[in-house]
Parts: sequence; C-alpha cells; structure tokens
Amino acid sequence: MKLTSNWFDSGTRSALAGAFILSVILVTLGLVVAHYGQRYQVRMVYAAYVNLLVVLGLQVFMGNANITNLSHSAFMGIGAYVAAICVTPVKIKAISLPNAPWGLNTFSLDPITSAVIAIVITAFIALLVGLVITRLTGIGATIVSLAVLVIVHSIFLHYTDIFKGKQAFFGIPRVFNIYSILIITVVALFVARLFRESRWGIQLRSSSTDEVGARAMGVDVFRVRLIAWVLGSVFLATAGICYAYFLGTISARPFYFNHVFLTVAMLILGGMRTVTGAVLGTIIITFGLEGIRFMETGPELIGIKFPEMLGLSGVALGVIIVATMALRSGGIMGNTEIEQVFKKRQ
Amino acid sequence: MDYFVQQFFNALSFGAEYALLALGLAIVFSIMGLVNFAHGEIIAAGGYSMFAISALLTGNPWVVIIGALIVAVLTSVLLERLAFRPVRYADPATGLLTAFGVSMILQNLFLLFVSPRPIAVTNLYFLNWPIDIGGVQISTLQIFETVTTLVAISVLALFLRRSSFGIAMRAASLDFEMVRLMGIKANRVVAVAFAISGLLAGLACVFIMARRGSVDPTFGFNPVLKAFVACVLGGFGSLGGAVLGGFLLGAIEVCMLVVLPQSYGGLKEAFVFGIVALILVWRPDGILSPPVEKGDKL
Repeated sequence: MKLTSNWFDSGTRSALAGAFILSVILVTLGLVVAHYGQRYQVRMVYAAYVNLLVVLGLQVFMGNANITNLSHSAFMGIGAYVAAICVTPVKIKAISLPNAPWGLNTFSLDPITSAVIAIVITAFIALLVGLVITRLTGIGATIVSLAVLVIVHSIFLHYTDIFKGKQAFFGIPRVFNIYSILIITVVALFVARLFRESRWGIQLRSSSTDEVGARAMGVDVFRVRLIAWVLGSVFLATAGICYAYFLGTISARPFYFNHVFLTVAMLILGGMRTVTGAVLGTIIITFGLEGIRFMETGPELIGIKFPEMLGLSGVALGVIIVATMALRSGGIMGNTEIEQVFKKRQ
Repeated sequence: MDYFVQQFFNALSFGAEYALLALGLAIVFSIMGLVNFAHGEIIAAGGYSMFAISALLTGNPWVVIIGALIVAVLTSVLLERLAFRPVRYADPATGLLTAFGVSMILQNLFLLFVSPRPIAVTNLYFLNWPIDIGGVQISTLQIFETVTTLVAISVLALFLRRSSFGIAMRAASLDFEMVRLMGIKANRVVAVAFAISGLLAGLACVFIMARRGSVDPTFGFNPVLKAFVACVLGGFGSLGGAVLGGFLLGAIEVCMLVVLPQSYGGLKEAFVFGIVALILVWRPDGILSPPVEKGDKL
C-alpha cells in the first residue's frame, strides 16, 4: 500500500491539491475585486462567497448522499439570527427587542463567542432534525426538509419579540469584510474536500450509489448521513453569520424560497457530486444573474427601451435546472474534481 | 356536540382537498417515480384560466369550471411532453430536481406575464353558502368538496380495477418494462397518468378558488406542500396511502386549529409538520408504504 507518501493517502493528497487550486482561484478573484473593484462589486463578490459557503454546505450532504435537501436556507437563518442576538449591543437591543424573553436583551458577547454559540446551536438543531431526515428514504427526506424550511420560517415570523418577524433585525456590528470571508471560504473548501475524500465521505458516496451494497460492506448509512448533515449545517451557520456580520441587518425573507432556488441551481449546474462543481456553479450563476437582473429593471439598450421584467431571473434559474437535468444530469463537472482535470492532461 | 360535528366536517373538507392533490401526485409517482413539484403550478394555471375565461368569454360559472379543468389537464400533459419525458428513466433525484425547476419557471412566468399581485375571480362564490343541518352550521362548499372527492376516488378506483387500461396502469407501477413488453405504449400510460393527475388538480383548484376567490403566482404552493406531506405520511407511491394521508393530515390540522390558542395561529403549520415528523419517526416509509425491494430491481 505504501508506495509514495508516508503521511497522507492518495485521496487526502488529491483533496489537498484540489482545494489548493480552487483556493488560489477564489482568493485571486477576491483580492482583485477588493483592490480594483467598486463598492457594489465588493458587495456582490462578498454575497457570492456567502452563497458559495451555502453551496459547499449543501454539497457536503446533498452531493455526497444524493438526497435533495431544500431546508438549507433555514439553517443559514438560524445561524444568522443566533449570532445576531448574541452579538448586538445591549443598548440597541433595548430599542429593537424590548420584550425579548429569557433576558435575551440583557447581554451581549464578542463576535467570536457569538459565532461559536451560533454554530453550536445550529448544529444541535440540525442534529435533532437529522435524526428524522436521515432515516427517511430519498423522497421523504426531501419533502420533510421542505417542511423544515416552512416551519423555521413561520417561527421567525411568529416570535416577533425575538426575531422581529417581517421587520429587519438591525444594529449587528459589522465586523467582517471581504478578507474575512476569503479566509473562511478557503477553510471551508479544504474541509469540504477533505470530508469528501475521508472515510466517512467515501462511505456516504458509496451508499448513494448503492445503499444495499454499502450496508452489506458494513457501512452504517444512517450514521454517515447524520455526520454529513450536521457538518453541512455548520457550513450553513457560518454562511449565515458571515451574512449578518457584513450587512449589519437581517430579516427572515432572505432565508426562504428564493435563496433555496438560487443555491440549489448553483449546485446542480456545477455538478453536485464534486466540490469543484459547487464552486463553478456558484461563479457562473452569480455573474450570469447580474446580467439578467440588469435586464429585469427594464434598461435602455442600443436605443431600444426594454420593459420591466420581474421574474426573469427566476425563469432563468429554472431553465438552468431543467436543462442541466435533461442534458447532463451530473452537472458540468460530473464526477471530476479540478486536480483530476489537470492530471488527465499529463 | 354541535361544535364537534362542525369540526368533523371541517376536517373532512380539508382532508378531501389534500387527498385530491395527494392522489394526483401519487398516481404519477407510482408509474414513473417522479415527484411532481410542478403540481402546484398546474393548480395555479387552472386558477388563471378561470380569470381569463371570465374576463374574455363568459362569466357563466359552469363554463369557467369546465374550462379550468380542461386547462389543468392540458397543462399537466404538456409538462410531461416538454419537461419530464427526457428524464423519464433517470433516477428519482433527477426527476425531482427537474420538476423543481419546472415549478420555478412556471411560477416566475406567472409573475412575469400576469402579475405578482393576487387577481380576483369571484364567480365561484355561489358554491359557498351556509346551511343548517340539525342545528349544525355547515358550508355547502364543504359538502361539495367531500362528495366530489369521494366520487373522484371511487371512479378512479373503478377505472384502475375494472378497465383494461386501468389494470395496465397498475401493472406499470409494479413493472413498467413488463407492461411495455405486453404491447402497451409507455407514452400512453404516462400521458393518461398525467391527465388524471391534472384533472384531480383541476378539481382541487375549483374548490380552492371558491374559497379564496383570488389567484397569485404561489397559489398552488401551500396546498401542494400539504399534499406532499400527506403522500409521505401515507407512504409515497401508494394510492390508498395518499388518500389516507390526506384525510389524516386534514384531521391533524383541524385538531391543531381547535387546540391552539388564537395567538399561535402563525405556528399552526409548524405544529402540524412536527406531528407528521413524529409519525415518520415511528414509520419512516409512511403508514401504508408499499413493500420495498431495495436493490432487487435494477
């Protein structure tokens, strides 16, 4: 077995190489925009990287287990709200959450502690939900995940004393900038790739191609699914925290269907079985949508006035999903990670 | 006692609506393994067609109803032709995501070409008036809804058990390849399944419209989400399970409405889905799940 390296097996080396290549691309892109881009471009790239964290979190469970998950935006929301409640200064909470129960408006913590608490709570909730979801067969799991999304959203809207319902939760210290998200993205890339090539990742992927076969080989399918589900939720919570720490205000709306559509389309276009696919899909759709959003506002191009076209971006995302599924159901990347593309050339 | 009877009728009419939709989902799923996320948009298409007919042609409610049923059936069959045929033999996840995409496209097309705001269609209100039966106030709509559902289920059961094409469809849900070898056209079986599914969606659409009186782009989403949950609850792919799940879900929902205080109204769905999750912990594949032959049929 030991042919070349004495520290890592070939899968781990491959994962490190792949994550390194993707990191170089993403960091270069981020730094170029941070130095030469205008403010709205920096915001756009920041948002894209937050979405990338979500898509990576989605890939960890959905891609490896091949079970469609539609609840991810809810977990992102939980992470964002918990961090926001912990970190917002007491003075602001006295105004915005005067009736908060359990003394939630009487303390405030530093951003790092708040983030850790948010991740732990999100992961715990995900563990409870995961106990149900991982036991269901594929389609049942998807429907229940959709129900989870609706439940969490209705809780955000109902408990106005804590979450402010349809209003914005404001006054969150804006402690993150484009450099913070670059670091977090790089860490996330490595974790997602290492998980994919790890023992658990391989077991999970084998269970997605042949559940009975995997069980026969001694894979505890529920357990590996649950591990991936909770790990994915950590990514999602982190994405929520990054979102809240950059914008300073959050509301329940961005953690609902439109965001689910967007991120699922990103993952599917790139190819959900690979981390490279997740990155590629996020980049393509982010830039593509900017163009479509421009058309949505009804611009004037080469002397022609286009009408306002609300819903065009939704149609485009839907067409992307349907076309990908009909023409190339594995997405652009299929089963190929980025370092394998380079290897084949040699 | 009166109160109890009234709530019983409420549960029955809620359940009837969910059962109609769940049956439409189950019949497509049992034959081609497709989770039709676009079912809600078929309902919405029916709703918009009601608006179009009453604005352009006539306000006669019977014409409006029949028009909506035809549009729902045509939409359903058309979707199968355009979107679901390429993924017919793909794995369930591919089909599910395709349907998800189709649902997004249709929802946004309604948004783009009609209006993001609700559009009023009021000429079905006549179906809904209160009547008094032995001191119990019931709306006629609830009676129509329950009776229509029971008739629809009976006719469907007769069709599936007695007619040769119905038997072919049941056989197709067990082994599609075998049915094709017996000389029955796959396209026809699938098209009829989608037509039935669309017809059931159209019936549900009529009742939802008679109650709500307006249609918007996300009109079909909530009822269909409930229908999905009903299918999962009853056992996905089992027609009896879909009906059972629908009525059970209706009963749970009415119980929640009775038990929960008014101020918790916004959390009704959360409680309903929570109870369903508990039932699923008990039976992960649903109550009437068909026996699974994992790894057997590949």
